[in-house]
Amino acid sequence: MDTETRDMLLETAGRFFTERCDRAVVNSVEKGAWPADLWKEIEEMGLPLIAVPEDKGGVGGTLADMLALLRLAGAHAVPVPLAETALANLLIAAAGGEATAGPATVTLGSVKITGGRVTGKIDRVPFAPVCERFVVVADKTLAVISKGSVKIEAKPTHAGEPCGTVTFDNAAAEFSGTSAVGAGRALELAALMRAMQMAGAADKILATAVEYSKQRVQFGKPISTFQAIQHMLAELASCVAATIASAEAASRDADEGGLAGGGSFSIAAAKSQCSDFAHRISAIAHQSMGAMGFTHEHILHHYTRRLWVWRRDFGSESFWGEKIGAAYAKAGPDKLWEGLSSSKYAA
Amino acid sequence: MSIPKLEFPPFHLPPEAEALRVEVRAFLKDIVPKIRTEDRFASWNTASPEFSRALGRKGWIGITWPKQYGGSERSFLDRYVVTEELLGNGAPAGAHWVADRQSGPLLLRFGSEEQRQAILPRITAGECFFSIGMSEPDSGSDLASVRTRAEPVPGGFRVNGTKVWTSGAHRNHYCITLVRTSGQHGDRHKGLSQLLVDLKTPGVTIRPIINLAGRHDWNEVTFTDAFIPESCLIGNEGDGWLQVTSELAFERSGPERFMQNFYVLRELVRVLGRQPAARAAAILGRLIARLWTLRQMSVAVAGMMQGGKSPAIEAALVKDLGTIYQQDLPEIARVIAESDATTEDDLADFLDIAQYATMMAPSYTIQGGTTQVLRGIVARGLGLR
Repeated sequence: MDTETRDMLLETAGRFFTERCDRAVVNSVEKGAWPADLWKEIEEMGLPLIAVPEDKGGVGGTLADMLALLRLAGAHAVPVPLAETALANLLIAAAGGEATAGPATVTLGSVKITGGRVTGKIDRVPFAPVCERFVVVADKTLAVISKGSVKIEAKPTHAGEPCGTVTFDNAAAEFSGTSAVGAGRALELAALMRAMQMAGAADKILATAVEYSKQRVQFGKPISTFQAIQHMLAELASCVAATIASAEAASRDADEGGLAGGGSFSIAAAKSQCSDFAHRISAIAHQSMGAMGFTHEHILHHYTRRLWVWRRDFGSESFWGEKIGAAYAKAGPDKLWEGLSSSKYAA
Repeated sequence: MSIPKLEFPPFHLPPEAEALRVEVRAFLKDIVPKIRTEDRFASWNTASPEFSRALGRKGWIGITWPKQYGGSERSFLDRYVVTEELLGNGAPAGAHWVADRQSGPLLLRFGSEEQRQAILPRITAGECFFSIGMSEPDSGSDLASVRTRAEPVPGGFRVNGTKVWTSGAHRNHYCITLVRTSGQHGDRHKGLSQLLVDLKTPGVTIRPIINLAGRHDWNEVTFTDAFIPESCLIGNEGDGWLQVTSELAFERSGPERFMQNFYVLRELVRVLGRQPAARAAAILGRLIARLWTLRQMSVAVAGMMQGGKSPAIEAALVKDLGTIYQQDLPEIARVIAESDATTEDDLADFLDIAQYATMMAPSYTIQGGTTQVLRGIVARGLGLR
């Protein structure tokens, strides 16, 4: 979609998230409720179909459009599997399948798909207990399995979102097909999706901390006037800016590379970087907001807890760091600069 | 709730800049091994006039400047690529670095025609080198408190005072010196001017200041009734503050603020060998990811500058993050090398390198604006002051 259309969509979605994903909704999900109305409205807006081609009933946006939307969703702690479903639908469409209504998630890891049947067990599947469909990718094959054919052990994340272990025991797929997006690429796209959500959450954390510092009065003046606080928030801004910059650069590289490949190194570097900065961002924000930010009543934890969970999702900084480090070590010192300056794994 | 956005929109260096990169890289791969310097690991502050002349012959110093002054009228992004290739390939680019980065651009913008004609072609030829005359014994971060005084006398100025931390003054030709030409010490930004000082001027004395690593980079430059001709005033009398702050923007935004000790990362890759253990690989990869991010941000700043914006806050932010990265790098590298080096000999060699890098590290977060000054600038950008 062109820039104007995207901006319009983001503006509409932003307004919608502000109105409909307030503190009460996010907290109710943590208590185990499923916000069916919110999900229905999100579907009516077509958001989970943002990156599905128009001739397949989707919105016809690009990968970059989807990622921009998910950054926005991250900035609102949208407590439903919008990101997971958008990615699942994109992957299904890429394998020639039909996207259908209902929340879906991506189950990436060690699974086998043989003759339309799936076997394997995957931990920490985001939103598993509330999803209708599970997308599995093994090598170059994608399979869609409905919730009736899987076993789910629910265990919410530390951010209070539904999550769980999914077991496929020779489960019959409702759809399977060969995909240009292989298992490795699907994991990259999922990592990138999380990196963009982290960018959104980081942005919101900065805005929250800066705003708070201007409101909070101690010793007769707003704490934003204290140099100690100013320097903390400046450091916070740097970490947030780096998080956003890495995620945005990877989004651009992945989008330009196309669905099937491209931007692989940038994605690895961005997820590593976003995960790495999650700690510092949360630490400074909490320190600057004192006891108030540590309460359940305040919204800060909606974002800091998500950062702490998301940094592990679809590969932590150790996972992606190891991939990068192993490739660069193998290529040797003389290839280091060449690799870095071309945003590629050294070879 | 809205706060000023600090965005670094992803920016692609254009094809002509990437084409130039190939050329520069080939040139450096050929010439760098042939140049001998006192530094085993050369960087942007390792001076080699021989190297600078060779680079000047290629037309890669003052690359953005008008042809009439010896420049190549290429884009700011072309300059960016040359700069990062110099850093990435360990070129001893220190002799001309300051002249190319800030002194030349300052003269182009504010200098007289006579100054431009006399100086700029010599800079682009790699034959004329500059120092920065800003800090004084009593003026560091608080630059507006400079005391060096240039008293107007017939035909010029009589200068008295002392500049310190003046890198390369013992081998450079000129020093652009911030002085008070009118008013009183307490007048702050008013009454300051910049002078183009020939470092061989009678009354100018240069003494070494040795840093903790035993290196002689810095100097103390003392002016004792030194006569500086009127023709050496840069821009207008009293505009020194405006000019010097524009110079600082050039000083802060470049890749030298996160690639000064790139050799540590390169040597870490060497010492870990081709198949490091998973944990060592992960730490190496995270360091690479961080450097990649800094580069994306720095390229974005270059893109904004090419687009006619003046991203002073963004540049300060990148310098803050970049210099802290440089400071962390030798520490992280040392620890991982100690546990994961492939051989004892390689380790001993690497630890020497890391030790040297550690000794240099305190300077990164001080020179060109301390961490605290930079955070003050970013805080202002956030609307906090």
